[in-house]
Parts: sequence; structure tokens; C-alpha cells
Amino acid sequence: MTSNEKGKQPKILILATLAGGYAGADATGQAHTDYPANTYILPVMCPVMFPPEFFVRAFERGIDGIIIMYSGTDSPYKVEADGTAALINRSYALMKTRGIDIRRLRLAAICTVCVKPFLKEVNQMADLLKGIGFVKDEIAAPAAA
Amino acid sequence: MDNLHVDTLVVGGGIAGMQAALDLADQGFQVALVEREPSIGGKMITLSKVFPTLDCCSCITTPKMSAVAHHPNIHLLTYCELQSIEETGSGFHAAIVQKPRYVDARKCTGCRECEYACPVTVPSPFDRGLGAYRAIRVPFSTAVPQKAVLDMENCILCGKCEKECPAGAVDFTQQPEPFEIETTTIIAASGFELTPLNAKKEYGGGKLRNVVDPLMMERFLAPTGPYGRVLRPGDGKEPTSIAYVQCAGSRDQTLGVEYCSRVCCMYAVKQAMLISGALPMADITIYYMDIRTFGKGYEQFYQNAKAMGVEFVRGKVAAIREDGEQNPVIKVELTEEGRIVERTFDLVILSLGMTPAPGSNGTTSTSLSASLGLPLGTDKFIAIPAPNANPCASARPGIFVTGTAMGPMDIVDSIVTASSAASAASAYIREHQKEAVYA
Amino acid sequence: MPEEKKFPETTPASEEVRVGVYTCHCGGNISHVVRCERVTKSLGKLSNVVVARTDPSFCSDTGQAIIEKDIKELGVNRVVIGACAPSLHEQTFRNTVTRAGLNPYLYHHVGLREQDSWVHGDDKDGATEKAIRLMSAGVAKARLLIPLDPIRLGAEKQALVIGGGVAGLRSALDIARQGIRVTLVEKSPFLGGRMAQLESIFPTDEEPRQLLHELIEQAAAYPNITVLTQAEVTAVSGYVGNFNVRVTQRSRGVSDEMAEALAAACTQETPDEFNYGLTRRKVICRPYEGCYPPLPAVDWEHYDGQPIQLNGKSVVLKDEPQVHELTAGAIVLATGFDPYEPRRGEYGYGEIPEVATLPQLIRALSRVPEGEPLTWNGHPVRDVALIHCVGSRELDGVHEPQADGQVNNYCSRVCCTASLHTAVELRQRFPKLNLYELYQDIRTYGRGHEEIYRQAQAKMVRFLRYHGDERPEVAAAPAGDTHPVLVRVKDTLTYGEEIEIPVDLVVLAVGMMPRQIDSLVNMLKVSRGADRFLLEAHPKLRPVEMAVRGIVLAGTAQGPMNIQESLSAASAAAAKVASLLGQGRVELPPFVARVDESKCNGAGACVEACLEEGAIALQTFQENGREVKRAVVTPANCTGCGACVGVCPNRAIDVQAWTLAQYEAMVDAIAMETPAFSEAEK
Ligand SMILES: Cc1cc2nc3c(=O)[nH]c(=O)nc-3n(C[C@H](O)[C@H](O)[C@H](O)COP(=O)(O)OP(=O)(O)OC[C@H]3O[C@@H](n4cnc5c(N)ncnc54)[C@H](O)[C@@H]3O)c2cc1C
Ligand SMILES: Cc1cc2nc3c(=O)[nH]c(=O)nc-3n(C[C@H](O)[C@H](O)[C@H](O)COP(=O)(O)OP(=O)(O)OC[C@H]3O[C@@H](n4cnc5c(N)ncnc54)[C@H](O)[C@@H]3O)c2cc1C
Ligand code: SF4
Ligand code: SF4
Repeated sequence: MTSNEKGKQPKILILATLAGGYAGADATGQAHTDYPANTYILPVMCPVMFPPEFFVRAFERGIDGIIIMYSGTDSPYKVEADGTAALINRSYALMKTRGIDIRRLRLAAICTVCVKPFLKEVNQMADLLKGIGFVKDEIAAPAAA
Repeated sequence: MDNLHVDTLVVGGGIAGMQAALDLADQGFQVALVEREPSIGGKMITLSKVFPTLDCCSCITTPKMSAVAHHPNIHLLTYCELQSIEETGSGFHAAIVQKPRYVDARKCTGCRECEYACPVTVPSPFDRGLGAYRAIRVPFSTAVPQKAVLDMENCILCGKCEKECPAGAVDFTQQPEPFEIETTTIIAASGFELTPLNAKKEYGGGKLRNVVDPLMMERFLAPTGPYGRVLRPGDGKEPTSIAYVQCAGSRDQTLGVEYCSRVCCMYAVKQAMLISGALPMADITIYYMDIRTFGKGYEQFYQNAKAMGVEFVRGKVAAIREDGEQNPVIKVELTEEGRIVERTFDLVILSLGMTPAPGSNGTTSTSLSASLGLPLGTDKFIAIPAPNANPCASARPGIFVTGTAMGPMDIVDSIVTASSAASAASAYIREHQKEAVYA
Repeated sequence: MPEEKKFPETTPASEEVRVGVYTCHCGGNISHVVRCERVTKSLGKLSNVVVARTDPSFCSDTGQAIIEKDIKELGVNRVVIGACAPSLHEQTFRNTVTRAGLNPYLYHHVGLREQDSWVHGDDKDGATEKAIRLMSAGVAKARLLIPLDPIRLGAEKQALVIGGGVAGLRSALDIARQGIRVTLVEKSPFLGGRMAQLESIFPTDEEPRQLLHELIEQAAAYPNITVLTQAEVTAVSGYVGNFNVRVTQRSRGVSDEMAEALAAACTQETPDEFNYGLTRRKVICRPYEGCYPPLPAVDWEHYDGQPIQLNGKSVVLKDEPQVHELTAGAIVLATGFDPYEPRRGEYGYGEIPEVATLPQLIRALSRVPEGEPLTWNGHPVRDVALIHCVGSRELDGVHEPQADGQVNNYCSRVCCTASLHTAVELRQRFPKLNLYELYQDIRTYGRGHEEIYRQAQAKMVRFLRYHGDERPEVAAAPAGDTHPVLVRVKDTLTYGEEIEIPVDLVVLAVGMMPRQIDSLVNMLKVSRGADRFLLEAHPKLRPVEMAVRGIVLAGTAQGPMNIQESLSAASAAAAKVASLLGQGRVELPPFVARVDESKCNGAGACVEACLEEGAIALQTFQENGREVKRAVVTPANCTGCGACVGVCPNRAIDVQAWTLAQYEAMVDAIAMETPAFSEAEK
């Protein structure tokens, strides 16, 4: 389905580590495998640099789903595996207080040759967003009620 | 041309020569890179995508070319011919000739106005004769340096280019300019040539219009290629059945080419995969005796191609003829069934092998090995007397060899041997220069 | 719907930001899907953008010249390029902007090929919108970029080579020849690795131990090479230019004067791995006469601690490990390979005594005196079958996986030539033998290899060809048969005929596996590929470097290779080490944490969050007569992970070139409600 047929598309932000997810996304590209175009991949050194407020802010600006593709225990950074997991938990707590569906934020370990897992994550998030809709509506809802 | 004094003279600006030059220059040595064509890049810059990563070839070659051109320690000398060398005791004295471009390279900005003005169309060797360019031209879009060159052989001396050139760079009076290079070491990187398409008469190459060579196929598949898609040169028809004939010109005693050319299995598999991407409906059959996908990741690449539906048929191709519609008809002995059959295809690619780089423009037969006085192996590539001890050392001390100048190999092996030759050369320089040029 | 808020654009106050935006066609690779002209038109409308262009290929010389010209002539001081993956060309373009006089970090690369055009081929509008948003995000980031300088570190002009096989030796020698000190660490008591276990080597028929001897002599003549045998790396810290390495070395156990006598007196025995377990050896031993070091050493793994009786005295051997601490600017990994060890029962291996591996046969042949017949397991050998691709070229779903669940789906590349070379030798030495080679494809690819294949054909070696999914079967022959073993194969050369060959010996041409180096891999944080061999940074362009800077590869630790190839790779590795350390300093990218002192209040959350040794600490300063604490970063120890960034309550710390504010700006650009692209159509 192209974006024109569908009109406005939810936006998926992918924060992908250079050592893992970003290279995995490049590998997916080299395999010329299609996935939805409403996916915006930004390279990161290591996702522990983000405070939970960063994600909430992104949702408030209109990012509908965020996937953090990190390198897990294969990371060149000691802190990445445990640090990122802890960060996600703190972020979920904050998201709940703001009425944001925590499924909108996902953590996935993706390595440089993970073409299939990359596609799976992207497609799962796309499917999820089809079901739960835009984040703006979700944030607006409690206020309207 | 001014005379030069360097640590290493690299002859040949394909991927091997470029990498060797870069490795030495990065260590602080002064390098002269002599290329006889008007641009560096060698065969690699003409390829479509590279196995096994399927990276776009121009995307990985152009940066190297650019790095060579911009390196402060590399003197890039294109369109130059090495004449002879002499031992000097401390190294070599090389006599070089700058061939006339008939364009002042210092003035030329590469704007191509001359090309647009030129009325003479010539088949472009960059596109293996499939496309055309002018008698004066920048050799190809990503050429380094971006300087025009005029070929006198085809020029009709109408003078239009000279009139149109905004820089006043065209100069019909240019003469060959000899100059000299003093150097401590030499690296031979003169590369390879494809076996001639017509080498094996039974295969009809050169005669049958729809029997092509694999470098033509690379141009068909290249995003920058002459047609931007795959079609038959005979009639422009889109082919739906395509065959590869492996070992066409290699492992063949009747041709005197007894060795395996190492890359043809892999490039055939690669091209088959690229064709199935471009023409999903096409049947592709590869006739082979042994599939030699031995490199890192290559066997997996071959298995992927099989899984994609490329057909691998063990068979000895005896002859190729043409039917009434210019379709090549292959006569093949299917060795797994013990039958000889004939099959008609739309397009046949002969997986030709590698032979040593010939002499200059085919006119004289002074190949690099001859100008350097290097003995050859039985395969006619430059001999390496002690492969299991000094894998890049030629028979003459101070002269090293890299890439396909020492036998068939692919890009990654060319790069490894280039760094290896650079390592051997730099050690030699340090041991032989009393007052080293480096700091 | 809540009201659409407006967010101010953040621009550094000092200088006017002038962004140049370049969208590459990549020779059609991008432009066949992404409408590059539209991207350019949209981007051109953003504030601060002074020029937006497309080109068939910006990485070409002409393409780069365009960018250089804009910097020089239009005063462009931030560059955003949308092109192929940054892994390919980020460096190229950093060099471009540097040449034009711009700080290299005032450039931002957006991947529009691998992450856009190549994956959204059937959604041109979507791909174009994505390109516009990503490029807008690039511009948003570029506005906040500041000039940075690389971190310059002194580099120790010393290299560490791990592994003393032919590859490690060659690397050590070539590095030393460049005037760089080398420490060579070898785990076993002797140098030479697997090459010492070969007899005559293809394609030259040379004596491998003689070649090794010459190589070792050359290396030993270099005063700047230190060899540590029976040694292993036990700890590594630091980074390129300054790896701190701990090497633990076991004792040789016997003094030079006593070594021969003690070896002679020693009675405890163990299987001899030099002969792949075919023979036994003493626990004080040397692999062969003329090895290096020349004297026997103690095999601590197997020594049972019992005293050895010598001249009426009983001597107990003691291992007193020595620890060496050294600093190395670069590390060469040359840990080599192990021959594939077939599973028990695989082609009868381990169950039928007449089934051996090719490395075993090579050792066994070296023990048969010239002129004597070949026997195996006490019987004369008349018929021999060599089976190719054992432990190589396995297929998923057809072959039984290895212990780790993987199948060895790669070709080991050496075994074809090695087994044909051995067949030719067998025929020469034992002219009456019947030889059968069972293969899938003969891969005699190298210079001089095809000749060996032709010799084998001329010498009447019989070839049988099987399909990868129908491998030959090996079974013990019924008692009383003429031969002890039966080999069954469906031979495609005789049109799929089922052939049964009675033989006296089955030789398995086993492939190569990487050695067990888990602890090294963990210590060095380097990657392995799906085939478990060490992984190079780029399979085409950077074949001997690893992704971790300062660590390079030599020889079969990277994948199957023959000796010539191992040597080439080893010299290439030396060239990389020489370029890295030759100047005595290393430059690192400036992606490290930086504290904004005006915001830091010394809370110290960052220090707690950081897991890197010595990267960040609180220091006391005088400020307006008061003592204050401020966080201070040591760039050389900082990895730039940003653990400190996320926890700072004051947003006082950032990783340079990857700041939180930049990410926020990028998110805003991506999330933009009315993106520039829809305006562009008007
Ligand atoms: C159809 C085909 C497809 C291929 N595909 C792939 C692939 O996908 N992946 C891969 O890894 N490999 C591939 N290869 C192999 C690859 O092309 C070679 O490995 C590589 O180009 C060799 O580089 P080189 O520098 O040794 O030689 P060349 O590219 O031949 O360069 C030699 C250079 O030296 C110059 N020269 C020669 N003689 C002289 C002289 N006397 N004086 C001055 N200059 C001289 C020549 O003009 C040339 O520029 C392919 C080969 C073919 C034929
Ligand atoms: C049956 C067979 C026949 C062959 N015949 C030929 C032939 O005729 N011609 C040819 O060209 N090639 C041949 N080869 C290939 C040849 O053996 C290899 O190319 C070569 O030995 C590889 O050398 P290397 O230095 O990479 O590895 P290795 O020889 O394996 O050396 C690695 C060294 O590293 C040491 N090491 C391992 N781990 C550590 C650690 N953690 N710390 C310290 N040290 C460590 C090991 O002890 C060893 O000394 C053959 C291979 C086989 C299997
Ligand atoms: S390499 Fe990159 S920048 Fe160069 S043409 Fe290809 S995509 Fe464009
Ligand atoms: S080299 Fe030959 S025997 Fe070895 S794995 Fe490859 S094809 Fe099989």
C-alpha cells in the first residue's frame, strides 16, 4: 500500500545503534527487501543517552511509535545491555502517567546481519499502529473525556 | 613534465595499484602512480555490483579513485607509458612518456563542451563498445582525472572542439613528452585482460550477435550502463532465456590457458542474481564443470542463487551456433545424464577468463613485464618465485607485484595483495634508503 | 485535537548558519525511486539552507568538486548529504569538506539508499516523503553542529601479535621491519602453528618446516621482536594507540641445560596432538627436531605432578607463571584454525579404525620410511578413498548441525588442492594404490593448483562426483570381506550409478574451523561472522581490519586460506599497523562526553552512571571564592556511550556531535505536521 492511497500515515521513529540496528537496516537495504516507508531511522551511538522524557516528548510531537534497535550484549559499550533495559522500564512508567500506550515504545536487539528480525520489528510496529491509531488522538482522549 | 624522485613507482591504476599507492602514501612515502589509460579505476570501475556484498561498484571504487587523486603524497600520472627501467644501485631509473591528450590538462575543467561539439561518434571502450562517445571526450562520467582526451585515430581535424572549448585547452600540436622518475621500489599492478571473445571458434563469440562477453553484461547491469537495462545487442529484444558458459577460455589446454580464472564462477552467479532482479521472468541456466565459489561468504552466495531459481547444469558446451532469428543454440553434453542436447537461448554469455594485461593499445607488444624485465610463470602472468615465503616479490629485488598482474583474483584478494605488496615495498625502502625520504 | 504548538528553531548565536543540502542520485540507485528534484526543492525552502542540489553521484570527483565550490564560493558552512549508507562514504565527504576548509564535523550524512530507495521501491511517494523528512532532520541537526577537533593520542610504537603460526610470524616480522616493536604471544610452547604439521606443501612442493625455519630466523634476528611462548593474553583494556595488555606466561618447566636429559628421563605419556593423536608423546617434549625454541618444554595440561627420576634424583616440575604487562598501539589477531573434527560416526570416524582425516594421513605418511609399503591398522593398504567437503559446504536442513546449532555452510577452500596434492604424492610413493576422490566440485582455483588436478587425472586417480545432498556413505565391511570398509556413492559422472567401493582406508578431507578463542573475543570486543571466523570491517574494502579500531586480522583466524594467502593477509595487516602507529600518534573521532560547566552543579549522577574506567570524575574547583564540584571527562577513556547524558538532571552533559538537542530537533523535523514536501508541489 502506498502512502497516497492511505493518506496520513503514523510515523515510526527507529533509534538504531551504529554497531547494531543501523547496520542491520543497511543490510536489509542491501537485500532490497521492502518494508513500509513511514519509518525514520536515526543512528545513535548507544541508546542509554536518552532520558525517558525524550521519548515522551517525541510522542507529544507526533511520533506514533518508537523502536530502539540496540546491540544488546554484543554492544561495544559496557552499559548498553542493562542500561537500555532499565531506561525502557523508567520510560514505560513515565508513559503510563501521560496516558501513552506503552506498546508504542519497543526495544529490540538487532545485529548487523539481522535482516529478518529487523523486518519483523518494523512490520509488527506498523501493524500495531494500524490497530491503536495515532498517538495524538490517544494523548488528546483523556483530556476530552 | 618535471622529473620526479619518489620512494615507490606504482604501475597500473586499477584497484590493486590504487590500494598499494594509498597504503604507502598513508605511511608517509612518496608515490608516483603511472596509468596508461586517461583515467584510473581499471576494470573495477566498469563493473555493475560486486560479489558477494552486491555493493554498487562505482560507489566503492570512486572514493578510492578520488582518494588517490587527492592524496598529498601521490603523484598521479595518467595517460603515461613506462618505457624502460635501469638499475641505479640505490633503486631504479624509469623512463616514462606522457602521451599527448591533445588537451592541456592544466587548463581543461572537464566541462565537456568539446565533446558536445565533436561530430565524430566512436564506440566507447568503457561500455565495451555498446555505447558511444566522441573522438574528444572525458572518458566516462566518474573518470579521474576529469580531463578531456582526444583520440587522433578517429579525429577528422575539423577543429570544432578547439573553437568551443571555453578554457582554450584543446591543442592539436601536443607531442609525446618523455620524463624520468627516480625510485627505490616498483610495484607492478598492470592487471588483466579478458580472454578474447573469439578465442574459442566453436563458441562463435564475436560472430554471433547474441553471444556476449561478461564485461558487456556488467555494463548492461550497471545503473550507469549504456541502456540502463538488459537487452540483446542483436535486436534490442528483452531476453527471457539466458545461458552462461563457464570456463570459456579457462582450464582449456587447446587454448593454452590451463589455469582456472577464479572469478568467473562468482561473477556468473552474481550476474545471474542481478538479472533475476532486473528480469524476474527470465530463465537463467549456468553450464559448468565445477562451481568454484571458494571465497569467504561465496559458497553461501552460490546457494542463495540456487534457491532463487538460477539453474546450474553440469555440462560441457561443445559448440554454439545461431538459428534463423539470431538466437544462439548451445550444443551441450549433459555429463550427469550422458546425453548431448541442443538448446536455444535468447542470449548467451561466455564466462571468459583472465589473461595478462597486453602491451600498449595492442599496437606494440611491450607489456609491463617486458619493460620491467620480469620473468613470467607458465601461465604468462608475472612470476612469483617464492609464493610461500614472499607472496608479492617478483624475481627482481625491489620490484613487487600485486593484483591480477600476478594471476587471476577478485577484488578482495587484489586489495589484500596490494596492502601486502605495499608492506613489502615499505620494508625494502626502509632497509635500502640510507637517508629515507620519510620523516 | 490539541493546538499545534510552534517550536522555536535553535540557532547558535555566533555565526550565521548556511546549510548546503546535496541529494545524490547514486547513479540511479536513489533517483529511480526517490524524486530527488522534489527533495531538493523542498529542502531549499528551509531556513538557513542557502543551496540545495542533486547530482548523479556526489562521491565522484566532479560531485565532490561541486560541494567544495559551494563552501568556498557561497559560504556554505554546514553540509548535509543524502546518499548511500554513511558506512560507505561518510569519510569521503568529511574529507571533501575538509579540503574546502570546513571543519569535518560540520557535515551530516543521511542514508537515502539502503534505508530508503532500496527498501521502498514500490512506494515512490512514500520514499520521497521519507527522504524529505530525513533530510529536513539532517538540516535540523546541521544547524546545531559545532566545529570539533579529533582527539589526538600518543600511540605506543609497539604492536601485539597474538598467534605464532605462519601468519603471526610474518606479521610480526613485517611490522618490526617498519621500526615498530612487536611482542608475539603464542599459546603453545613452539612457533609455527599448523604449517609445521604439513610435509610437502602445494603448489611448490617445498618443505614447510624449512620455510618456517627461515621465517623464524629472520624474525629472531630483529632485536625489536619479543617472543612469548606458552603465553596467553589474560586481560585487555584501553583503546587504539594504547591497549594495556596482560600476558600470562607459563614456565618452560625445564632449564636449558637439563631439558634434553629430563625429556629423555620422562616416562609419562599422552596422545601427541602434533600427530593428531595417532601417536603418543612424553609430557616433556618438542614437536620435531629443529623446532623453535629448540629445546623441549613441559606440557602442563597433561603433566601429572609426579617426580621424574634423573641420575638417581627425583625432580618435580613446577609451573611458575609470569605476568607481563605491556602497552600496545595495535593488535594483530593471528590465532589460526583447527581442522574440523568429525563427529563420532560421521563417515565412520572414531568407530571404524580405517577412517582417518587428511591431516592425520599427512602425519602418518611422514612416518612411513621411503620405499616401505603403506599399512593402516596393521593391514597393507591397496585401495584408498578420499572424501571431500567433510565439515564444509553443509546444507541447512540436510546436514546435522554442529554442537552450536550451526551447519558449516562455507567452503574450506584448501582441502580440494590439499587432498589432490596428497593423492599425487600417494601415487608417486605407492604406485600400485588404487585412489578414489569423491567430490562435489574440484576447487583448484589458485596459481599452480589446476596443474595438480591434471596430474592427479593423469596419474589415474579415479574421480567420483556426488551431490551435496546425497553424500557418500561409509560402513564397515562384513567380516571376511576382501577389504575392511565399504564406501557407497551415487556417482553423477556415471549418470547417478550407485557405486560401492571396497577400500582399506577412507580419508576425510576435513575443512577448517576457527580455534576456540572465546575469551579473546570477549576481552577485545571483536565480532565473528555467521561462520564463526573473525569478521573484517568490510568484506571488500577493508579486508584485514576489524570494526574495533587498532585490531587487525592475519591468516586463517579470518577464514580458510592457504599459506600464500595467509602470508599476504599477514603482510597486509602489517601495512595497516604501520600506517596506524608509524607516526607515533593516533587520532580518534571526537565523539566523547563534554560537560557544560555553566550548567553542571556537581550532582555526580553522571559519575555513578558511567561504567568506563577513568572516563569521568568530579573535581573541585574555585568559583567566585567558593569550592565547587564539577564533572570532568577524560576523553581517551570515554567511549561516548552517553550513559551520563541520560541521567544528568541539568542537561549539562552531551556527547559531542550526538547531542540531545540535536536529536530533539531531528524528531521535530520528522514529526512536522505540514512538512516542506507538500509545499514544494505548489
Ligand atoms: C566480468 C567480470 C566481473 C567481475 N566481477 C567482480 C565482482 O563482482 N567482485 C570481485 O571481487 N571481482 C570481480 N571481478 C574481478 C575484478 O575485476 C578484478 O579482481 C580487479 O578488477 C582486478 O584489479 P587489478 O587492479 O588487478 O587490475 P585492472 O583492473 O586490470 O587494472 C590494471 C590497470 O593497470 C593499467 N595498466 C596495464 N598495463 C599498464 C602499463 N604497462 N602501464 C601503465 N598502466 C598499465 C590498466 O590500464 C588498468 O587501469 C570481475 C571480473 C570480470 C571480468
Ligand atoms: C590438511 C591440510 C593441508 C594443507 N596443506 C597446505 C599446503 O600444502 N599448502 C598451503 O599453502 N596450505 C596448506 N594448508 C593450509 C595451511 O595449513 C594454513 O594456511 C596455514 O597453516 C595457516 O596459518 P595461520 O598462521 O593462519 O594459522 P595456524 O597455523 O593455525 O597458527 C595459529 C597459531 O596461533 C596460536 N594460537 C591460537 N590461539 C591462540 C591464543 N588464544 N593465544 C595465543 N596463541 C594462539 C596457535 O597455537 C598457532 O600457533 C593445509 C591445511 C590443511 C588443513
Ligand atoms: S556512492 Fe553514495 S554518494 Fe556516491 S554515487 Fe553512490 S550513493 Fe551517491
Ligand atoms: S575446497 Fe573442495 S573439499 Fe574443501 S570444502 Fe571446498 S569444495 Fe569441499
